[in-house]
Amino acid sequence: MIRYLGRKLLIYLVTFFVAVTVDWAIPRFMPGNPIDQLLARMHAQPQSQQALTSYYTKAFGFDVPVWKQYLNFWVALFHGDLGVSIANFPTPVWELIRGAVPYTLALLVPAILLSFWAGNKVGALAARRKALDNTVLPASYVLTATPQMWLGIVLAWVFATTLAVLPVTGAYDLSLQPAWTLEFAESFLKHWVLPFSALFLVAFGGWAIGMRNMIIYELEADYSNYLAALGAPTKLVRKYAYRNALLPQITGLALALGAVVAGAIVVEIVFSYPGLGTLTLTALQNRDYFLIQGIFLFLIMGVLIANLVIDIAYVFIDPRTRVGMAGSN
Amino acid sequence: MRIRPWATATVAAAFTAGLVALFVLTAAGGAGASGVSYPRSQTLYMSGNQWSPNNDLNPAKTWDYVTGLVGFAYETPFRYDPLKDSFRPWLASGGKWINKSTYVMTVRKGVKWSDGKPMTVKDFAYSFNILKIKTHAQNPFWRDTGLKSMKVKGNTLVFKFGAKPGYQQFDFYRFNVAIVPQHVFKHYSKTDITTGNLKLPIVGTGPYLYKSGYGAQSQTLSWQKNPHWWAAKQLGLKVGPKYIVDIKNGTNAAALENFQAGNIDLFNNFAPKKAITGKAKTYYSKAPYHLAANTTWLFPNTTHKPLNDKQFRLALADSINVGQIISKSYQGLVNKANPTGLLPIWKKWINKQVVAKYGFSHNVAKAKAILKKAGYKTGSDGYVRNKDGSKIDLTLAVPNGWSDWMTAIQVIAQSAKQVGIKITPSFPEYATLVDDRGHGNFDMVLGNDRQYSNTPWTYYQYIYQLPILSNQTNVNYERFKDMKAWNLTKGLDKIASTNTKAYRAQMTKLETTFLKNLPVIPLWYNGMWAMFNTSHWTNWPSSKPGHHFTTASWRNYWQMTSIDMLTHLKPVK
Repeated sequence: MIRYLGRKLLIYLVTFFVAVTVDWAIPRFMPGNPIDQLLARMHAQPQSQQALTSYYTKAFGFDVPVWKQYLNFWVALFHGDLGVSIANFPTPVWELIRGAVPYTLALLVPAILLSFWAGNKVGALAARRKALDNTVLPASYVLTATPQMWLGIVLAWVFATTLAVLPVTGAYDLSLQPAWTLEFAESFLKHWVLPFSALFLVAFGGWAIGMRNMIIYELEADYSNYLAALGAPTKLVRKYAYRNALLPQITGLALALGAVVAGAIVVEIVFSYPGLGTLTLTALQNRDYFLIQGIFLFLIMGVLIANLVIDIAYVFIDPRTRVGMAGSN
Repeated sequence: MRIRPWATATVAAAFTAGLVALFVLTAAGGAGASGVSYPRSQTLYMSGNQWSPNNDLNPAKTWDYVTGLVGFAYETPFRYDPLKDSFRPWLASGGKWINKSTYVMTVRKGVKWSDGKPMTVKDFAYSFNILKIKTHAQNPFWRDTGLKSMKVKGNTLVFKFGAKPGYQQFDFYRFNVAIVPQHVFKHYSKTDITTGNLKLPIVGTGPYLYKSGYGAQSQTLSWQKNPHWWAAKQLGLKVGPKYIVDIKNGTNAAALENFQAGNIDLFNNFAPKKAITGKAKTYYSKAPYHLAANTTWLFPNTTHKPLNDKQFRLALADSINVGQIISKSYQGLVNKANPTGLLPIWKKWINKQVVAKYGFSHNVAKAKAILKKAGYKTGSDGYVRNKDGSKIDLTLAVPNGWSDWMTAIQVIAQSAKQVGIKITPSFPEYATLVDDRGHGNFDMVLGNDRQYSNTPWTYYQYIYQLPILSNQTNVNYERFKDMKAWNLTKGLDKIASTNTKAYRAQMTKLETTFLKNLPVIPLWYNGMWAMFNTSHWTNWPSSKPGHHFTTASWRNYWQMTSIDMLTHLKPVK
């Protein structure tokens, strides 16, 4: 067990190192110089340009060779310092990310977990009820093939613009400030429904199809037939089939996390939801190196940790893994 | 270990519930505000200025500070009315040139800071002195206006200049320098004063007090009426809305949906013409609907062949069908620019004879004739060739996503084709465009950076400033080297606006050299995009007499006449 986890951890550490290095490098190799952008936005007079350029170059640590910038980046990272935003100088990147993360998590976590749970349940049901199979299956195919962003726009158009039952932008009503009140909680939930639905529905479709196909496969497997031949009740057979079918789905969950995060980014932009997605867009538009780096670092860590959690959970869920590990010991 | 399906469900549900609770907690803690909900009938909702986080409280950062920081909280010595071309004493009760090189500014008495302390001449002196810091954006006040010294004398500030003061620039700073409280700002370091974001509380003199919303993640920033505003007592002014909520922009489309849902009263983003319907009103009731805020220019890179040839530029200008751009990209929401490019607010300085003689307008035959006369021959493909016989293929770039400009340059490419000039539209990302533009790696770009000001000097400086640096971040993108024109521009700065005769003569010279050489090509006037929702507030700015005010919530507009918009607003009963 320890060896298994140790090996996994090592792989994750290497992945982390490579991903962070790429994360550091990408904004630096994009065309466009962030300080020029800043000066252009400032409408800095040419006479002030020299003083301002040298001031900002130093402030952002661009006055040292690239290899040193890279080392400084790692040193700062281990001190929990993600640097200072360029476009919003001198706001620390961490402050911007900290402000946006709760919104993104509030969308992502429920969307991932609930769609996984509901998709698998409905998929399993569809596999044994013909009527359901004929409706849920095509609907799921449509949903899973729909880009989250497009679905978001359609939902906004139907429920916010046409029916006017739900708000279209933001995370809470414009007349409110976040506070410990029922009014705020209600407003927050109302604003949350549409972006959540856009993420939930697309993921739901994928899980439902996957589970439906897996269940059919498992029900035809030898162990199911054997169980049935022994006279086990159908319910029990299906229960075993479901549990076996769940395993590849969980592996799928680990693989799908990245895509869901990317989906959340575009959905947030559609709804002007003040999470990491919206922040990413402004960071990219402004060539805000440190902010781009910070957000991606956060996402990389999020996806890696979630994968690790799934890896560990797998040990408990799938007895064969444990048996395999015991055997190897 | 057995995992039951219901267990997954429970975990998911519990996690979700917990997360929502956690979120509410974090958000509330983050904003540090108490629960507030504003009565609709007393609140003005606006949007269109704020794109960056609501956490910059530095009046020196005129491109980034939160909406209303200067105007609502901090105020300026004077205000400038661009529609009437007049200055209005504000925190200064008056000011005048007592001789050609000495200006005396009198500080208004009876003004108090929002913390109760009186505003004095010392605050004025302090506010102008901090501009001496080299990294201060308004540092040119000390460096370029010819200012030699500034002294406090009684209740006045005496500004002494060299032999030739930069009157135009000085006037510009008179309504653009925020007066800040010395007793608060003295605790900040020089770096903080010039480039920091500064902290709460905001101690100002203006009509509104900060209410809530400061923070990197905040969607809105709100202000509450200052019951002790000096102008109420001294000038009898009263702002209409008790609360103002400024909404941070997400996307244009999302903001427009919010406006159409009635959640925004003042909408300062671009919106298509079809949005002006029902309760949505604009400054003019018919085309072009909006005031003109700036000119859209075509910048040809004058270091590239054949754009370095003025005859080619003149032919290019004649080839562009601006009328078609106006109908196709803007559905009539903008007007064609005067050939001088000068905004309608500077109409009185435009010399009509000069324009009649040297001006240009869409004329295919004339463009072709100019090219032919200048020696450009047409190739077998119908396109003109460089004089050395090589092919011409010019790119014209605008930022990706700027849909109105993207359509516009396609029209430009098509109309240039009529005279045989090959133009390929290009849509790089904004950051890439800025980089290429600054370093001269482009053929042609569109630009509209300069806004309303008290003087066309700001426009000519934008076009002619020399020397050319390796990176041109804000001026002379076209890299046009014309020392004579730059000297004329500097000369304009040194003529007082009151010296109308000399001013007009200098303007005529500038307009003539501009039209003869056409270093940049003015196309159309971009609007001061403003839609008013008349459901909750009425008496908005309009072309009707007595309502001529600027309509923008954008930075640097409040100290023009956008504040008057607020003092005239009335709630709908």
